Amino acid sequence: MSNAFTTFLNNRTAVQITVYAIVCGAIFLFPLVLDNDFLLNRYARYLVLGMAAMALSLSWGYAGILNLGQALSFGIGSYCMAMALKLRTVPVHTGEGGLPDFMVWNNVETLPWFWQPFHSMPFALLAGIVVPVFLAVILGWFMFRGRVTGVYVAIITLATLVVGNLLIIDQQRFTGGFNGITDLAQLELFGIEFDAYSKSTYYLVAVCMTVCLFLALAVTKSKAGMILQAVRDHEDRVRFFGYDVAWYKVLAFSVSAGIAGVAGMLYTVVMEFASPTFLGVPLSLSIVIWCAVGGRQSLLGALLGAILVAGMEGTLSESETFLDTWTLIMGAAFVLVVLFLPNGLAGLFEMLRRRLAAQPAEKPTEGATDAAVLADKGAAERS
Amino acid sequence: MEFFLQQIMTGLSIGSILLLIALGLAIIYGSMGVINMAHGEFVMLGAYGAWAMNAFFGVGLLPSLIVVFLGVGALGWLVERGVIRFLYRRTLDTILATWGLGVMLQQMIRLSAGGELRYVEMPSVLTGTVGILGVDVPGYRVFIFVFVAALFAVTWYLMFRTTFGTKLRAVVQDRSVASCFGIDADKVYSLTFAYGAGLAGLAGALVAPLKSVSPEMGTTYVVDAFFVVVLGGVQSLFGTVASALMLGELTGGLAYLWNDTIAKALVLLAIIVLIRFRPQGLFVSRIRS
Repeated sequence: MSNAFTTFLNNRTAVQITVYAIVCGAIFLFPLVLDNDFLLNRYARYLVLGMAAMALSLSWGYAGILNLGQALSFGIGSYCMAMALKLRTVPVHTGEGGLPDFMVWNNVETLPWFWQPFHSMPFALLAGIVVPVFLAVILGWFMFRGRVTGVYVAIITLATLVVGNLLIIDQQRFTGGFNGITDLAQLELFGIEFDAYSKSTYYLVAVCMTVCLFLALAVTKSKAGMILQAVRDHEDRVRFFGYDVAWYKVLAFSVSAGIAGVAGMLYTVVMEFASPTFLGVPLSLSIVIWCAVGGRQSLLGALLGAILVAGMEGTLSESETFLDTWTLIMGAAFVLVVLFLPNGLAGLFEMLRRRLAAQPAEKPTEGATDAAVLADKGAAERS
Repeated sequence: MEFFLQQIMTGLSIGSILLLIALGLAIIYGSMGVINMAHGEFVMLGAYGAWAMNAFFGVGLLPSLIVVFLGVGALGWLVERGVIRFLYRRTLDTILATWGLGVMLQQMIRLSAGGELRYVEMPSVLTGTVGILGVDVPGYRVFIFVFVAALFAVTWYLMFRTTFGTKLRAVVQDRSVASCFGIDADKVYSLTFAYGAGLAGLAGALVAPLKSVSPEMGTTYVVDAFFVVVLGGVQSLFGTVASALMLGELTGGLAYLWNDTIAKALVLLAIIVLIRFRPQGLFVSRIRS
């Protein structure tokens, strides 16, 4: 193995950026290999779910905030997009002034005030990010100011999610209740129409995913990201150093919510509807599981974990032999991963990288480089 | 006045069912710190156990309670030995592992008993109504209330008046010191988990006649039960009772004022605020960490 390669392997950030770029590149090239709009739609769906898991990894893996209510941000984003697209449907069965059909069935006379601004697409796109972020800031401030940690964070976020879900189902007149918002128009941006079953939507998802992934990576590499990891490992010590721990946690929590909101918006575009299950407890727990399987402390790991698990679920549930047993297999796989791979599949990769980097170089090198390698390796081991 | 009493009775009934389900969880979470997401599935298994005893062996609900308690308890013991005991050092991960277990249990039931709704018959002695202070209350609800009270008394006795309870409390306070004194911490923990699981099974068998039995029935229960336990305060059995009854009354009252959904949402909001200001629970005066 060449020396340059070993040095490269010892630089964790360089390896990360390279691997991230390769994966994103592969995702972009994928439609060249697969020319099937139905399958592309499905993979776009997995990518969106991957984004949600990646966002969770930012708050859970890097900041130690186990957010069991990740689907709340996801669902709100999804509903924002659905509301805007619903108002753009060709009025066939709609009421006066393009009143959505389910409102007509529920005897709603005029479009409620909070639906009005969704006539504007830019507003909807903004709302899909700002509303989840705003809620996350409030909830985060409320929790972390009170130094709520660990399992209590999990319970509070779970309770918030259930409240959101109940409200959406209860306010059937304005949200479509159990049925959600269906029969949507297609998203149109910059003159491009995004048909759910087309390459354009796949690329839209891929672009958003790549941007969010590198944005999240930048956050983890920033000073705030370092402090967050320190908070995760030892909150009190960071506090004694004089850092305002609560605001750093709010930051991670809200960035994560924003990315989940974007993912939710894309999910509506890909699925062509929004439903209360998008902010349901089962989906929210699934996001946590994907994140754990892929590796909670790796953004890319969480992303790939979601694609892998959701993809396996999709394939297994359709095959004849596993029709009945795939849930059993998935359940057993989760248990095994939690028991034996606490850092998920990304943990395996990290072990491999260290193993390779630790191999002695074949040729003797100059003292200076050697020292640098050693110092670097030391840093890698501590990290 | 009568209406007011009626409301209180409804609340007590909801509260006693909550307590029934939360009691096992309170023991497992309170003493071991394990967040058992499969608790709802233990409840579900109990309900199916009662159904199966009736459908295949013609055994009534009351005699089958013993079988259900032992059966689900044994399963709990297996789960503790097979999975949970590896996770005591990272208790947050028990959420994930037990959720995976829950998914598996659900699917096993779906494959063996079918996904359709099942119904369990109420014991015929308990189908009538009982007049309490001039209010007619279904006899079965009164029975549940009394049964839960008895179950609580037994649990309290077990925890605070027996050698086993003393050992358990010692292990909870300091596992290594307790081990030094010759207490088999592994055995204590696995038996505790089995007891908690058995209680969950009993809860499932008892609620089965009130609600329809389905493989998914546990999911809603486990979330509610968690709120009860956390609100009452970990390691406080009496706190669990108080919070179960409080949540029951609150849900019943609010549901009368608005509707079930809004009541539930408001109760959850109240829980969020309470946890924020008293994470140690409402009824714990001091806590050891």
